Amino acid sequence: MTLKECYSALEGDYESVLSRLMTEKLVQKFALKFLNDASFNNLEKNINESNWDDAFREAHTLKGVCQNLSFTKLFSSSSLMTESLRDGNTEEAIRIFSQVREDYNQTVSAIKKLNII
Amino acid sequence: MSGIDKHRQKVLIVDDSELNRNILSEMLGSEYDIIEAENGAEAVNILRKESVNISLVLLDIVMPVMDGYGVLAVMNSSHWIDDVPVIMISSDNSVTSMRRAYEYGITEFISRPFDALIVRHRVVNTIMLYAKQKKLVGMVSDQIYEKEKDSNLMINILSHIVEFRNGESGMHVLNVQMFTEILLRQLVCQTDKYNISKSDISLIKKASSLHDIGKISVPDHILNKPGRLTPEEFEIMKNHSVAGASMLEELTAYQDEPLVKIAYQICRWHHERYDGKGYPDGLKGEEIPISAQIVALADVYDALTSERVYKKAFSHEKSVEMIMNGECGCFNPILLECLKSASEAIEKVKEHYSDENKKKREDFAVELMKYDELSASEETLRLLDYERMKNDFYASVSNELYFEYNVSLSMVNLYPNKSNMLDTNELIAYPMNDERLTSIISMNELKKLGMLLKNTSPDSPVVKYDCKARIKNEMHNINIICRSVWNSRSEFCGAVGKAVDMGIL
Repeated sequence: MTLKECYSALEGDYESVLSRLMTEKLVQKFALKFLNDASFNNLEKNINESNWDDAFREAHTLKGVCQNLSFTKLFSSSSLMTESLRDGNTEEAIRIFSQVREDYNQTVSAIKKLNII
Repeated sequence: MSGIDKHRQKVLIVDDSELNRNILSEMLGSEYDIIEAENGAEAVNILRKESVNISLVLLDIVMPVMDGYGVLAVMNSSHWIDDVPVIMISSDNSVTSMRRAYEYGITEFISRPFDALIVRHRVVNTIMLYAKQKKLVGMVSDQIYEKEKDSNLMINILSHIVEFRNGESGMHVLNVQMFTEILLRQLVCQTDKYNISKSDISLIKKASSLHDIGKISVPDHILNKPGRLTPEEFEIMKNHSVAGASMLEELTAYQDEPLVKIAYQICRWHHERYDGKGYPDGLKGEEIPISAQIVALADVYDALTSERVYKKAFSHEKSVEMIMNGECGCFNPILLECLKSASEAIEKVKEHYSDENKKKREDFAVELMKYDELSASEETLRLLDYERMKNDFYASVSNELYFEYNVSLSMVNLYPNKSNMLDTNELIAYPMNDERLTSIISMNELKKLGMLLKNTSPDSPVVKYDCKARIKNEMHNINIICRSVWNSRSEFCGAVGKAVDMGIL
């Protein structure tokens, strides 16, 4: 899978990320680094343990990373989740989290299929 | 691009996401040394160690442990923000959070998603701007220093020539300058009647050096006559005020210079009296310009407190008393008030700055003080002085004994107190070996206290210790409360505390 195909599989905005990061090589470098990014796992852990303040910060971090990488789909669900945690609406946040997990898995599996150039 | 500084610039990136830090650092490229911190507390630690070496901070807002606003608060209270520019990374562009950040003194925002070109431009521009500003501040302060130094030097050489003929050391002019300044500052505190600005003070102080230039017109045999002057000779001597003023008046090209105007007033009227019985014009009360009134008082005070061929030096108290009683002229009651209020300061300065070199340094510090942002280090010294004064005062009005212990110097500092309960030095080196100290508190007690302190931690540093002490040959109960002091590497470096006398056993 090419980088461009990967972005369409994870429903991201390839044109935007390429124009901001300047080179394909950098986009790929950081997309691959996303596989090691801890914020999703930390988010899940904090939700399971009902640490809502930490959960908010992790959701916020995940959202920020996705924004920088133009992972549009995962960005939208993690944004929604960040806002409901900011408002203290934990029930809604838990509902949204299943969407976040789905989008995260979609994103990760797309990146894993990337042909390394 | 780094024409201003050959050294590599350091940029501190503070963001809780490693990936985001990586992206930023990649965008800045290899031109910068990057330091990373993953939360606000780490950032503060790094800044504490090397804020002077950091050219820029990129700061995220939402972070664990300490958030971006927390970092900004510390940077404000420690004044790092004055020298280290901050670019805030924001994802929520809400107006309130942006306003809040700007109020904290940030320079710029970059918003997510990061755009390589925008990030790079903002960083480069901000660093260049600050570097230019720092360079300009440096140039300006150098120039001010040179200019002030040269003009003060010229004035002092000139007035010294006059004094030299008079067989005096040159200290008189410097003393009159200093007393003039103190009296003026006091006057400004007491009344705004005369509308005197900071730059007026500096100008009058400078011009005061010229008060006796007219003496150049007085013949040697009169000026340096050891005995009493005849009435005719005294008339010639008195003419020095008018002569000085005319000399200045003849500087036709400089009549609009404030320095010349003020110096004219001072030369001509520094022998007038508030009751109208002075010379040369018999001006009365507020007809005499305030500059001349002040210098007249400073001149008389210095003459009284200095030794002359025809008299010994009077003490400070005696001199002030003589002036107050009207034995040495007649002065504006407001100025007499100022003399009384500033009496202590004047006495201190008289003692302290008899050494000329010290005075020159102080002069420059005072000069720089006017340019607030140029004098960080002088400001620091002043604050230290203030802290010391405060400590001494608190200690002097309390029955408690304050102390500081420094491990690396093996030294105990005792602060003086009203009850004077101890009869030892204020500074004790090697306290365990100090006989006078161990005769008051036994070596055993000191050792126990030392152990307790060493066993504390930075998180719980406080030790309370009750013991017995021998004070004036009687055993007293003493409550000691102190806290251990730790450096940034968490090494024990001493303690501060107080001892309270609970009375005789």
